Amino acid sequence: MKHARKIALVLLACVIATVFVLPLVWMLSTSFKNDIEALSGRMTFIPEKPTIKNYAEGLRGNLMNVPIMRWIVNSLSVGVIATGIVLWFSSMAAYALARLPDLPLRRMWFSMFVASLMIPGVLTFLPMYMEFNALRLINTYAALILPYSAGAFGVFLLYQFFISFPREIEEAARIDGANKWQVYVRVLLPSSVQIMVTLGILTFMGVYNDFVWPLYATTSPEMRTITAGIATMAQGSYVQKYGTLMAMTTVATLPVLIIFLVGQRSFVKAITQAGLK
Amino acid sequence: MKSGWRSRLTSTLFLVPYLMSFGVFLLFPIGYGIYISLHDFELLSTEHPFVGLDNYVRIFTSGTYENSLFFNGLWATLQFVVYSVPLLIAVGLALALLVNHLPRKIRGLFRTVYFMPYAMSASVMAVIWLMMFDTNAGFINSALAKLGIQFIPWLTALPWAWVSLVVTTIWWTIGFNMIIFINALNEVPDDYYEAASLDGASSWAKFWYITLPSIRPVMLFVMITSTIASFNIYAQPFLLTRGGPGDATKVLLINVLDHAFIRKEIGSASAMAMLMALLIMIVSVMQYRLTYGRRGIGA
Repeated sequence: MKHARKIALVLLACVIATVFVLPLVWMLSTSFKNDIEALSGRMTFIPEKPTIKNYAEGLRGNLMNVPIMRWIVNSLSVGVIATGIVLWFSSMAAYALARLPDLPLRRMWFSMFVASLMIPGVLTFLPMYMEFNALRLINTYAALILPYSAGAFGVFLLYQFFISFPREIEEAARIDGANKWQVYVRVLLPSSVQIMVTLGILTFMGVYNDFVWPLYATTSPEMRTITAGIATMAQGSYVQKYGTLMAMTTVATLPVLIIFLVGQRSFVKAITQAGLK
Repeated sequence: MKSGWRSRLTSTLFLVPYLMSFGVFLLFPIGYGIYISLHDFELLSTEHPFVGLDNYVRIFTSGTYENSLFFNGLWATLQFVVYSVPLLIAVGLALALLVNHLPRKIRGLFRTVYFMPYAMSASVMAVIWLMMFDTNAGFINSALAKLGIQFIPWLTALPWAWVSLVVTTIWWTIGFNMIIFINALNEVPDDYYEAASLDGASSWAKFWYITLPSIRPVMLFVMITSTIASFNIYAQPFLLTRGGPGDATKVLLINVLDHAFIRKEIGSASAMAMLMALLIMIVSVMQYRLTYGRRGIGA
């Protein structure tokens, strides 16, 4: 009886898993079909006339207004640079807040940062656009990178970690004559690799997948990130060209899917940590 | 603790880079947004006269274009919130319970599979479902045809447009809620369940009297984050239904951004954005109060 229940549960889990995976399998299968077969409405998982034309054309840059390789490079570099800035700025700020008691106005800064976590993005979206517009920075990498550096989530996450860091190690270093910077670089950073990786994965995936800001902050095809680029494709001349579209979405998904599968544990941990605040 | 100005200065230096970002890309935009919303700020014009609360008054004056734009958008957004949030919570919890009752060895696998769509970007997710829901060539209608069911216009007729938006959203984001619930379920002490078993409690009774009360704080967290996320919905109707049929799924954020970037009325769009942000914050405070208050009486 109990055995039967277990089997039923596993079966149920498998059925649900199929539903979850099906759209992805269909994406992959469609990406190897020509646009006509993709529109035929036949439920063929193995393409009748498999073709790699969709990938070849896209990756060679032969598709009009779809510099897909440039989009990927844009997304990866914007993601990496923004993540680097976030890790660097947040870890220094969290260090000051958690470990340097003579920091002036420490409590005020901290409550301000925490309060900012509750501010909806829609509040800053238009003025941020106007700000970059006034600085003539719309359609530049600066516009794609800088806004992410203001998020307080990283400061908050690292603060919680730094505050529980044993004081003795830090004091031992101070007695050896290390100054604050040396303590930060030589003691604190090496012992927080794991949490930094976690924050890094979260930040990178957030930036890589962000949609609305890069859509409006870029205006020319070659400045698009892959997320914004795919959106313009789907709205523009590639409507219902499902073979081409699916090949490009597959290419767009691969980097972040790999990072997700590799960093899944850190990712899950970070989400639960964020949820427990 | 006494420390000299030099020490205080070096401590401050660590905070300066982040503080500058925070000031330039968060605090300033908030203030600037309020400023813009008080002006007639036409994007292409060079003069932006001060108009006081006019932009806000227009939104609340029935019959104006801004009034219909804001409240029609709000109505669409609220519909989506009402349709999606209960499901996002219930399905998230159900998946978490399911995963937790699977044999230990395969739990990780299923957790990963259900969570995977969360790693997709909004546009990739939308494009995939655009193809799944396509009326003539879509996978879903093809499958239904095999069962002898007539084509359903998933993206171009009501109520199907809402069904599609909710289904896509669940597929895309449910993994996040599931992970939070799995974590919460694992933290319920085992002896609670053992004691209940000794008293002969049924599985249902255990769920109702032990599991649910124990995870209430997490439930609140999921409720708030799901509500905020659904309030901010944009990509799904923007790419899937394009606000249609008619304007039925033109949610508030679509209207605000169209008003700003297509009609170039940044001032009035900013006023709408302010009100939308205010609503989001009020809703989260209210949910917090409601749940917190109920705990006082119920427990």
